[in-house]
Parts: sequence; structure tokens; C-alpha cells
Amino acid sequence: MRLPRAAALALLVLAAAAARAAPPLLSAATAIADPARDPAWSALFASLVPRENRESSFEERRYFPFRRQPVILTGKIRLAPGRGLSLDYLTPQPRVLIVDGQGLLMRDAIGREVSLPADARTQASIAALVDILRFDLAELQRNFALHGQRDAAGWTLAFVPRDPLLARSLAALIVRGTGDTVAEIELRATPRQHIDILVRATRRDAVFAPADWARYFR
Amino acid sequence: MARCVLLGLAALGIAWLARLDYAREISTNVLDLIPPGEQAPEAGLVRGLATDLQVRVMLFALRDPQAPAVPPAAAAALFAGELRRAPEFAEALDLGGGADQTAMGRAIFEQRATLLLPSWLGERHREFTGTGRPESDFSPWLAERAAADLEAFLGRPEAVAMGPLLPLDPLLLTPRLIERARLIAPSGAGTGGDALVWGRIAGSPFAAEGQGPVFAAINRAEARMRAAYPGVELRWTGVNQIAAATRVRIESEIRVLNALSLLAVFGVGCLFVRRVWQMLHLLPVVLLSLLGAWTASTLVFARLHFLVFLIGALLCGVAIDYGFYIYMQPALRPGEGYESKLRRLLKPLLASCLTTVIGFSLLLFSDLPFIREVGFFVSAGLLSALGAAMLYFAQIDHPFLEARRFGHRALRPPGRSVARSSRWVAALLLVVAAAVAVSGTCRLRWRDDVRELELPTPELEANAGALRTLFGDTPGRTVYLTYGATVAEARRHLEDFLNYEAASAGQAHPASLGLLFPTEADWRQMPARLRSLGGFSADYRAALDRHGFEPDSFAPFFNSWEALRQHPPGGDYASLYRDAGRVLTGPLALLYNTRGPSAWFLTVVDRPAGPPAPAGLFTVGVNELQTLDRLFTRYRWSALRLSLVGLSLVIASVFVIYPFRRGLRIALIPAGSCFVVFGVFGLVGQTLNLFHLLGAFLGVCLAHNYAIFSSDSSHSGTAPPVSIRLSALCAASSFGVLALSRIPVVHALGLTVALIVVAALAAVELEPFLRGRRPDA
Repeated sequence: MRLPRAAALALLVLAAAAARAAPPLLSAATAIADPARDPAWSALFASLVPRENRESSFEERRYFPFRRQPVILTGKIRLAPGRGLSLDYLTPQPRVLIVDGQGLLMRDAIGREVSLPADARTQASIAALVDILRFDLAELQRNFALHGQRDAAGWTLAFVPRDPLLARSLAALIVRGTGDTVAEIELRATPRQHIDILVRATRRDAVFAPADWARYFR
Repeated sequence: MARCVLLGLAALGIAWLARLDYAREISTNVLDLIPPGEQAPEAGLVRGLATDLQVRVMLFALRDPQAPAVPPAAAAALFAGELRRAPEFAEALDLGGGADQTAMGRAIFEQRATLLLPSWLGERHREFTGTGRPESDFSPWLAERAAADLEAFLGRPEAVAMGPLLPLDPLLLTPRLIERARLIAPSGAGTGGDALVWGRIAGSPFAAEGQGPVFAAINRAEARMRAAYPGVELRWTGVNQIAAATRVRIESEIRVLNALSLLAVFGVGCLFVRRVWQMLHLLPVVLLSLLGAWTASTLVFARLHFLVFLIGALLCGVAIDYGFYIYMQPALRPGEGYESKLRRLLKPLLASCLTTVIGFSLLLFSDLPFIREVGFFVSAGLLSALGAAMLYFAQIDHPFLEARRFGHRALRPPGRSVARSSRWVAALLLVVAAAVAVSGTCRLRWRDDVRELELPTPELEANAGALRTLFGDTPGRTVYLTYGATVAEARRHLEDFLNYEAASAGQAHPASLGLLFPTEADWRQMPARLRSLGGFSADYRAALDRHGFEPDSFAPFFNSWEALRQHPPGGDYASLYRDAGRVLTGPLALLYNTRGPSAWFLTVVDRPAGPPAPAGLFTVGVNELQTLDRLFTRYRWSALRLSLVGLSLVIASVFVIYPFRRGLRIALIPAGSCFVVFGVFGLVGQTLNLFHLLGAFLGVCLAHNYAIFSSDSSHSGTAPPVSIRLSALCAASSFGVLALSRIPVVHALGLTVALIVVAALAAVELEPFLRGRRPDA
């Protein structure tokens, strides 16, 4: 059944009005002061704590201010509670990026490893990412100002670094999803330079073979 | 008169030794074994590298057990600041603090056009030349290539972090340097929750000022850091920590070994001598021998290595021989005076002492000062021992150390024929010994490693290893050193080595701080190359547009490019290094050297130690340098040649002094003992080094004494003098004690000498069984 033209127009107007009515994500109105006790958010935060291995496909879109189109990278993301997160880039160049308690490690196609320098800014970024991956509420509240929004499509959480050093390279980390599934992660440096990671086809209770553990984690 | 001479010389020696500054004149640094004028260039390099720079580095790691995943950055900054304030530290950098590194990074970024652009242009031009296209195509070719590289780079993980810099550096000069030099970055690869501080001390780690005061400064800095951050733990390491611990352990080891050695000699004495206390008369002879050796050596050499004294302590075993021989010799007739007895013994004493001295004197011609020092020390000690023994016993009425009866008993009763079975057993033993000597000697394996000279300190080395790993030093890497007479030559050699690596090493990735600097040729050609790229700005704009970029975003780059074309950097090539030297501090400053007689660059390759770089690349592996194995192998061969010449002279002089048959016996006993022992080493798979060879030389000299002192008894068919048995067993037990040493070379020396002495004694005792009838029967 096709909607009459007037009804469709009315829906569009309503949607636009709703959008105008919603406060900006990073505003005082969306702040979450205590997510563990906030009845609107506590259940979501509890459900986001990873308890099992997960494997998803991802598409990473890198936006640079000097480039007309985003640079697109694709691959698989693996999450293992207690071990860390692994981004297995398949295109355009195969390489693995591992984020864990020891820091950030990159492995190229032949398994050669490169650790990033242990300078304060890198360490702060890694610690922030690790906290977010664990959804460790105590640490998150200590290191980030939290914001949240819900709409018909799902929910959006924003993490704004309190550390000015980290804030220089990361204005906000935004996570979008539905139910207890993360659909998109945005690392926003500036409005014109950001990375959007679209997460697809998440497989829970993923079983990693010994070779996977060796290749994708440390 | 003799007493006055003895006392006068002893007083002079003691007075001389009392005024010595032992900390200055005795070295414990193994690298001091290498002569300062060593002709091998790598030896000079390793001396400079190890004694001047790397050994002064100290590594610190701070960790907060309450937050094990987060490095205690503030505590590290405070601790590094405290160290910087201490005069004992020349430098202290907080590697995680970022302030110093940010400044360094900023300075390199700002100088990228001077430092990095010449190499980039040179490499691209050589690549372009390989395409065979006309020179006029260079600008559009270069523009297309640069835009394609930039597009590819955006897909790499590090592109995100570098994003803000790319409009200024779209040629990727800085990202390329970071990528190529990643292995040498002073990072804490996988440091986890450790904050790292790098320090360099002002004094030598082997001297007192580089140890106690430095440790006190660290303690003060730690106390202040803990006052502010009570929970933070500190781990640290440095060569001075290991050197101080080694010195303490060496002193303790020498005390224990000397005590055990004395106990062993006393035990043997109790077995053989009726009145053990009379053995105390041998003590002045040994002490005067050592006094003579120490005094003469310190008079001749300005600085001696402690190993000379340790090996020299073995001199006691030889020096005591003369005392035993004179002291245990009974009077030939009642009322025989000392002078008459001494005259009778003079020939074997002089033959033994002088031939041994001739042998050791040949070591004075060695390339290695250490060997020369040992040769001089032992020669001086032997002459002192003989002189002291002859003069000392002149002071005693009727000097005679009476042995127990069994000590005189011959294994083969005199005047009887040898039982057939005993003769067979002796012959069988001889055949077995010969077989062992021949087959085992063929299997000998030699390996020289300077690190065996050090006393292992496993706990400290484990701690040092763990800290070095935190600082990015992993066993899967090889470090090379490329050198040249000037910095331009060293950089050219580095380029050759990097090209060789790129062609031969496959996936391995060489990284060197030398990559920060252009070769002199690229530096000189840059102005001309810039001039030839007049259309590059337009070409590059077009190429960027084709690859999806917004060319106007790169306006800062285009502005600086045009300015550079108008005013290309000029001046002296060496000024590049001087300017960069003001910025490069901390660990990076230790990766190259432009001062002194040799300039060099270090290169790290991410693969375990491979074959050495081919000759002509002026590059040596630092691991190779650390073991100095090639150098010490050369010294070993030199010592072996000199030892063989020395032994030939000893043997030749024996044939001059004694008739042929007796001379042959005297020559065969030490040589045979030595070969049998080396044969045993070969069969059991013992790896030998320079110090086994020195031990063998010493052992052969002892065996030579026994062969000479038993010559008369062998000739007359009587039992060997008891002095030989006592001397040999004393030497075997005291050298056997040294075989217990934890210092590998002392163990090697002790074991070699003890076994040769035992073999020589066995030969002296069993040799009569090989004769059917006595010569005088």
C-alpha cells in the first residue's frame, strides 16, 4: 500500500519537528550523571558489559578535512573480555591492530609487530579505549563526561574526555546501537576529521581457534 | 749479607706497593683487556661505544601496583627531575612525559626540508632514472607518485594520528622517517603499566664515583618520589650496579678460594710431612715471590687488569716448587752445608726456572697487553721465587723438611724387575693416553667470548634483561654499527649497508638514526634538483585533485615549497649534524657519533643475529663486537704461536743441558700430559678458549719442573723425590680448588692446570714401569 502524498509529507514534517525538538547530543540536557543508578540507562550499561567473545564485520570510514570522500577500510573486529580488542583490517592493506591493557600493537601482513610509543597522550588514549571496551562504569565516570540519547532507531552514548591531553586529539567518542548491540563507533577529533566504524553481523559467543588467539591478540 | 739483601728488597717492594692507588691502577673492566692501539677498527669502536657511552646508561621503570595498567607518569616526571638535579647524572629523560620527545619531534619536523627532503628527492630521482623516461618528465612523474603515496598512506592506522600534519607534509617526509626508524624510537614497546625513565651518569660505572654516589642519588630521588607517590615501585639497572656487585663477589670469591686453597695445601702437607708447622718456612718464599711479581709488574705497567693478579695467584703453585725442592732435599752426607747442597741442586733449579722464564718471556711479544702482563708477572714471580728460596733457606740452620716414609716409597720397588702384568697395565695406560690425546685433540672446539671473563650475576642480569625489554630491546633484533673516517663517509657506508640489507634481508626492516640525515651527495645535489622542479607545484596540485584531495588544503606546503626553491638550504654538510646534535638527546644521541677519530651509525634490524655483513660495507654486528670473539680468537692464535715457540725453546734448552735420552724424557712428560688433558677436553666436549691455553702453558711449566726434578731419580732408578709428589699434589689441590670458581676463565685455568699436574705426576710415577730392567741393574 502506498501512502498518500499528504500523509508522507506530514510524516516528514513531524520527523523534522522531532529532530528540532531533540537537544544536541553533547549538551547538559543529555548528560548522564550516574549511569549505574539512572533507571533510564543502568540496564543498557549493564547489558553492554562484554561477557563473551564477539566477532563482527566492520567498515571504517575515515574523514579528513583535505579529502573529498572518506577513506574506507574494512575488516573484522574481535572482542575478548580480559584479552582486549582486535581490529583485523582486510582492505585496503591487511594488518591487525590490537588494543589491550599493555597498550596498542600493530601487526602487519607478515606478523611483524610495531608498538606505539608509550607517551602520555597515547597511553591516555589507550586507557580510554580500554575503559570503553570494558564498559567499566567507575573508570568511565572518572575519565569521561557521559551523555546519552534515545530515539526510535535506538540509543546513542557519547564519551567526552575529561583529560585535556586526550581531549586535544579526541573531542568525543560516540557509540550508537540498538538493544544491547553496538552498531557504530565514532571517534570525533573535529567536525571535519573523524572516524566512523560501522559494526555489522555481530556473532556472540564466538569461538577463537588457537591460531586466532595468536594472530589477533597477545 | 743475604739477609740484608732479602730484607732490603722486601722493604722496598712493600713500600712501593703501599703507595699505589689500587682503584686507579687495577681494572675490572673486561674491555680494558683490548689494547688502546688495537689495529682492528671494530675493537676501537666497541671501546668507544661501550666505555664512553652505553655503559653510562641507566634504565628505570616505575609502576603503581594499585593501577597496574596505567603508567605512573607524574611520579616518573618527578623522579626524572630529581635525577636531573643530581650532579652524578649527566642526563635523565622521562620517556613517557613527552616534553623532551615532543620538543625533539617538533625540531625534526621543522627541519624536515633540510634533513629529510634531500634524501627523498635523491631516492625518487634514482627511481625515476630507472624508468628511462626523459628528464623533463620528472616533475609530473614525481607529482603523481607523491599523490598516490599520500592516498595509500591514508589507509594506514597511523594516518589518523598524523592527519593534522599532512597538509604541511604531504610528501610524507616525517611519517616515512617514523616508519623507517620505528625500531630505534625510544619507546616503551609493550610497557603496559610501567613509566620509563632513561638516565646517563656522568662518571665511569667502573670507578667509585660512578657507583656509590650514583646509588645514593637514586635513593634520594626515589625517596622524594615516594613521598609524593607512596605506592609507586621503582626498578632500575645499570652497568655500575652489575660492576659494583661483581667487585664485591670477586673479592669474596678470591677470599674463599684462597682459604680453600690454603686448606688443601695444608691437608696435603699433613699427609706427607712429619712436622707440618715446618711447612711455614715455605710461606715467606711464596710471599716474596708474589711481592717480587707485584712490585715488578706495577713498576713496569701503568694499569693492570685484575685477571693478571688472579692468574698470578696461580704462581704460588709454581713458586712453591723451588722451596719444596731445596727444603726437602736431605743432606748427601752428614754435615753437608747449605752452600754445598745448593750447589748440587743448582743445575735442575736453574734449568727449571730459567727455561720456564724463557717460555713465559715470549708472551711479552703478544699483541694483547693482558698476555704480556701475565708473561711478565709470572717471569718476575718465578725469578723472585728462586732467588727468595735460595736466600731464605740460607738463613735457617740445617733446612730440611722431613717427609713421612711412605712419601719416599717408589711404586716400583727398586732393584727388582717389573712384573709382566704391571708392565702390561702401564703400557695399556700409555696406549689409552695416546689414543685419548690423538682422538680428543682432533675434536677440540674453540670459542672465545670476552663475556666469559665476567663473574655471572644471574639475578642482576635477569633484572637488566627485563628492563631492557621494557625499553624495546628484544632478542629478535640485530644491531649493526657502520663506520667511516668522517661523518660523510660513515653516512655513505650506511647507505651502502641499507641498500645491501634491502636487497638481501627480505622482510627484515633496518632502522637507523642515520636515515635522519641525507648522504653528502644528495645534500649537495638538492639545490639543482629543486631548480629543475619549477613546474612541480602545478603538477602536484593536479595530481592531488586526481586522487580525490582538495589541493587548496595543502596551501601551507605549497608556500613553503616555493620558498625553499627560492632559497635552498646551504652551508657545510657537517653543520647538519651539529644542528641536529643540539636537539637529539637521550637514547637517540647514543645511536650515532660524529666526534673522535671514527664516525658511526647504529642500525637495528628486526631479525635475530644473522651472518656478519660482508667486508667492504664497513659494518660490524654489535653482538659480535660484544663477544669480541674474532678479536680474542686472533689473540688466542697469537698466544698459541708464542706458547709453541716458547715451549720449543724450553725443550731445546733442555736438550742443551741434558743428554738426549734424559732430555727426551723431560720434554715428553709435560708435552704428553698437556696433550692427554686436551684430549680429555675434546672427548667430553669441553669448549676451550684463550684461558685454557694459558692454563696449559702454566701446567706444562709445572710438569716440566717435575720432569727435571725427577730426572736424576729416574736415571738412577730410585723413587721420584718426595718434593715432587708433595709439590704436585699441593698444586693439583690448590688449582683444583680454583676449578670451583664461578668465573668461567678462572674455572678453566684451575681445571686445566690441575689436570695437567695430575697427568704429569702420573707419568713420572708410572714411567719406570715401562722399562723392562733398570738401567743400572
